[in-house]
Amino acid sequence: MKLLEIKKLSVEIEGKKILDSLDLEINQGEIHALLGPNASGKSTLAKVIMGLPEYKVKTGSILFSNKEVKGLPAEKRSKLGISLVFQNPPAIEGVKLSKLLEKISINEVREKEKYSHLLERDVNVNLSGGEKKISELIQVLSLSPKLLILDEIDSGLDMKKREEVVEILKKEAKERRMAIIIITHQGEILKQFSPDKVSVMINGKIACQSKDYKKVMETIKKNDYAKCKHCKKL
Amino acid sequence: MPSANIAKNYSPDFLQVDNEIKSMARNDKVVILPSIEAWEKLPWVKEYFNGKPKGGYFIWVKEQIDFPLSTCVNIISPNIKQDLQNLMIIEKGIKAKAGVVCSSLKNNLSGTHKAKGKLILKENSSLEYNHVHKWGHDDDVSPDYEFVLGKNSSLKYNYSNLFPPKTLDIKNKIVCGEKSSVNLNISVNGIDSLIKIKEEVILEGKDAQAVSRLKLVGRKRSDITAESSIVAKVKSKGHIDCQSLMIDNESKISSIPLLVCENKEAQITHEASIGKVSEEQLNYLRSRGLSEKEAIDLIVSGFLSV
Repeated sequence: MKLLEIKKLSVEIEGKKILDSLDLEINQGEIHALLGPNASGKSTLAKVIMGLPEYKVKTGSILFSNKEVKGLPAEKRSKLGISLVFQNPPAIEGVKLSKLLEKISINEVREKEKYSHLLERDVNVNLSGGEKKISELIQVLSLSPKLLILDEIDSGLDMKKREEVVEILKKEAKERRMAIIIITHQGEILKQFSPDKVSVMINGKIACQSKDYKKVMETIKKNDYAKCKHCKKL
Repeated sequence: MPSANIAKNYSPDFLQVDNEIKSMARNDKVVILPSIEAWEKLPWVKEYFNGKPKGGYFIWVKEQIDFPLSTCVNIISPNIKQDLQNLMIIEKGIKAKAGVVCSSLKNNLSGTHKAKGKLILKENSSLEYNHVHKWGHDDDVSPDYEFVLGKNSSLKYNYSNLFPPKTLDIKNKIVCGEKSSVNLNISVNGIDSLIKIKEEVILEGKDAQAVSRLKLVGRKRSDITAESSIVAKVKSKGHIDCQSLMIDNESKISSIPLLVCENKEAQITHEASIGKVSEEQLNYLRSRGLSEKEAIDLIVSGFLSV
């Protein structure tokens, strides 16, 4: 069943096209990897799906559970079930994570007590890269999302922490039928996720898609993203 | 004559409701009296008052205590006028904590709370004074406090006003003796309020130190003027940090730090900034499902609590 359906989405910033007539579909419970070189538009796409106001949609549509969400603010999209793990979440001094969770939580996060040391810390203030990612996960999982977008979740995580994070996410995805979009430019994390589908973004477009993430990874490893520019399906 | 009761758990050491003193704690180590009674019974306290007090409390910490002092002055009836003259004396070498709450029960009581306070910290003593105000939209409030710090004493003064009255006129004067130190943290959330803050730290004793932090928020037609000054008369150190957040274009904040140096060995500095709520923080919290207003309230509460 289709959860997210993006059609001919174009986004510009200061006259520069960042997303160019992009099409993408994500099914319920699907784990979908979004690969691409730096500045290909992956993070922009994540923020546009989330509804962050710095990006203006020129044309196209974003259907979520068959509902057009293009004109909705971020908080409404969050309530519908879209959540984003930020690559660089902002620090909010004086606001403890526990207080933020009190305000936003729909769902009690399992094993939250395991991360109790973070609950009394200010949101993203003086946290290590790994702690920030865990803090992000506690927040988004407390929202019970239907679609979770992970923007470079692997950056700043050592291998052990990465495995821990992936295990939590895979379990949640399976039990709650939560779809996940994994945005990465490294691809290493995909070995642990084993995504159902991979899309490669080049210059603001989906350049190719495949169900065989290993083959895509292999091709990228050999040719960087050069081959992706010319192929429609691997 | 007000009744004096022994404070029970969770009861403040001094409780005044409207203009009636409801309870006072008794303790061998601390003398707590209505200021009028202290004036009448203890001749030596007269030097600390400017004339006979009309109301308020006298707290004299004579010996080391192992519990925080607490006072609570409330307005619960309409059109009440409180006129307090408070005096707190911390004897030599005593380390004390005090929690002071002044509040209005409802938003529309049109009360007046006037408090003139004097806090004397004697040699080698220390005091952490947490002062919380919570007022209604129609109240007029004017606390006027003087702190006198003896040699080697230290004061941490935290004032927080998240629910401001219609008018708020704060005056704080801190006189620092030799090697004394003061750490002031004033947080005021202006919501449709006329607020004047005048804070003056006088570094009178050699090697005295002062840090004064002011956090202000202007929203809903607030007009805030904050003057914060340090006067260094001798070799000493001081710093003023005024940070303000503007939530809308209907409000106005004037932040005026002032440094006066009368000794070439003194080091006094200041920084001041007035800015808006970070769009990045706002969007982040909105992506977590908070409305714009909820997100701003959370950011403001965080800003004022730091």
